[in-house]
Amino acid sequence: MSLANVLFHRKSIIACIFGMLFIFSGEVLANKGLEIALKSDENFDGYGDSSSEMTMELISKKGDVVTRKLRFKRLEVPGDGDKSLAVFESPRDVRGVGILSYSHKVEPDDQWLYLPALKRVKRIASKNRSGPFLGSEFSFEDFSFQEVEKYEYEYLREEELDGILCHVIERKPLDPYSGYTKQIVWIDSENFLTRKIHHYDKKSFHLKTQIFSDYKIYNEAYWQPHKVTMINNQNGKSSVLSFREVKYKNGFDDRDFSQNSLKRSR
Amino acid sequence: MKFLLTIVALFLLNNIFAYEFLGEVILDNRYFFNEGTSYQDKIHSSFSYSPEIFHEEEDYIFHLKPKIRKDSQDPKRNLLDLQEFYLLHIGEEREIKFGISKEFWGVTETTHRVDIINQTDFTEGFDGEEKLGQPMVKVSLEEEWGVLDIYALFSFRERQFSGQEGRLRLPLIIDKNESIYESSAKNKRTDFAARWSNYYDQLDIAISYFSGTTREPRLFPTGSIDKPLIPYYETIDQFGLELLYLIGSLAIKVEAISRAGQGDRFSAATYGFEYTQVGIFDSRIDLGWIFEGNHDDRLKSSPTVLGTRLSFNDELDSQILSGFIWNDVSKELGFLLESSRRVGECCLIALEGVYFEDTDEDNNEPKLFEAFREDDFFKIEFTYYL
Repeated sequence: MSLANVLFHRKSIIACIFGMLFIFSGEVLANKGLEIALKSDENFDGYGDSSSEMTMELISKKGDVVTRKLRFKRLEVPGDGDKSLAVFESPRDVRGVGILSYSHKVEPDDQWLYLPALKRVKRIASKNRSGPFLGSEFSFEDFSFQEVEKYEYEYLREEELDGILCHVIERKPLDPYSGYTKQIVWIDSENFLTRKIHHYDKKSFHLKTQIFSDYKIYNEAYWQPHKVTMINNQNGKSSVLSFREVKYKNGFDDRDFSQNSLKRSR
Repeated sequence: MKFLLTIVALFLLNNIFAYEFLGEVILDNRYFFNEGTSYQDKIHSSFSYSPEIFHEEEDYIFHLKPKIRKDSQDPKRNLLDLQEFYLLHIGEEREIKFGISKEFWGVTETTHRVDIINQTDFTEGFDGEEKLGQPMVKVSLEEEWGVLDIYALFSFRERQFSGQEGRLRLPLIIDKNESIYESSAKNKRTDFAARWSNYYDQLDIAISYFSGTTREPRLFPTGSIDKPLIPYYETIDQFGLELLYLIGSLAIKVEAISRAGQGDRFSAATYGFEYTQVGIFDSRIDLGWIFEGNHDDRLKSSPTVLGTRLSFNDELDSQILSGFIWNDVSKELGFLLESSRRVGECCLIALEGVYFEDTDEDNNEPKLFEAFREDDFFKIEFTYYL
């Protein structure tokens, strides 16, 4: 951790810089978009670590359902992106396959895949983030922690969504390898929780709709959605992610997210 | 050893209900286009069963995975092996593994130069990726400066070779019973190995050292009437280097070794790249390109591989890996195909094919695939997960 990070809170510095930029360019509305994104991100400040069991249902156009299960844990890294470890439990042929990710604010994320049959750890290119995650409608990108710094923002409007007053903001990924050109995000005005995202593809077609629901609060501070639905408007398929056994403050440290921990993750 | 078994037994008796009982059954059918050069049969089937017990506690992991294989034609392809039978202690500062296990080293896709801890089971697969369990004590330190693994390896495992009735073998039979060792301790020599690995930004690096009985024996003719070959296991020392550098979707990979103890010191390397195109033609399909070249001081020529990996990203995880092997000096061409998809929630089906072609028979250079000229085959493998 650098001295700057100790002296100042990372987000306030970035907010200042962004703020100044926008003031000089006169983009007051853009500034409000960023402000809301930062407020939403603050929900996770100091969460430390979390663990959960996830079930992912892949639903075909005809309504056939295929289920996948995985274990997921995450560690907050002050001054940088988060570390996460996902381990598959089913289907059986990928049981024990693990993905270790170190996300970063601006630089590309570091990612390693563990293949238990070969006992092999393989570094994977994080640029391939726009590809589907385990055959689902979620991409690797949707799955990773969405750092505020990875987008530019514009405030659109206030709008009611299912009876909840929301801020609607537009964000554009700065990463040229992102699968999206823009995302419209609904963030509620009470707790600043993400409620819905419209994802637009390279041709600015409204490709996917992501809905976050069943929010519950943990440790009186951290809001966690227990259901995330991704609907693909193009192929009519959808994927539903449900969370169980959610636990914050497990006392994880770097050793729980190391190369060795990936190898014993199965 | 008794001490170790006692610890394992005590550990096993503790909390028996928290164990995971898993396993897999594999049915494998290989269809060769022609009879073998020694008139071996065209159809070879095998059945293998690997039950698995896994148990995890706060700071211990226990893992047991034996493998039993029965072949329809070649008794030398029958196998009973403990692939995993270890206790892993996870400490604050280090991990210690006692028992039998498999450890992979390396970064390349086609040839694994650096990988040396485990013996290869060549009767199982053509690619040499199937390994035998190796008894060991491994200490792993993980710090800011990277991961340092130190190994003591006990009880040498001999390489598995096909028998008289087997396919994809040399014309002469290799007689394992007559194996010769350079070490006076024969196959009881304790070998040592160490590997340091770390990553710096987009670079993954590992440096390794091995001192012990070679996993790759040289074969010598005995001159007897049925002229079998016997394996000679020298004591070697080997340095290994692994590099992987990412530039966007491009992974550049190098594996190199320098080995002393089998004639003159020699070097060998595999180098190349893997490039992935995500979502080709606006579809969900990813297309990966693999190119790997080889160098080996011992050989006049080494093949080059160009392959593609198609990942369909569907709910069945369908994949097709295909590639050409080209040996420019001997003008030999090989074609490989591997594909797999899930069947239901329980099973996996895989198809594999291998085809060799000598494009210039008048060429007098040593032929690498000469022994396999009648061994073109395809294989259907069905895996059921318990």
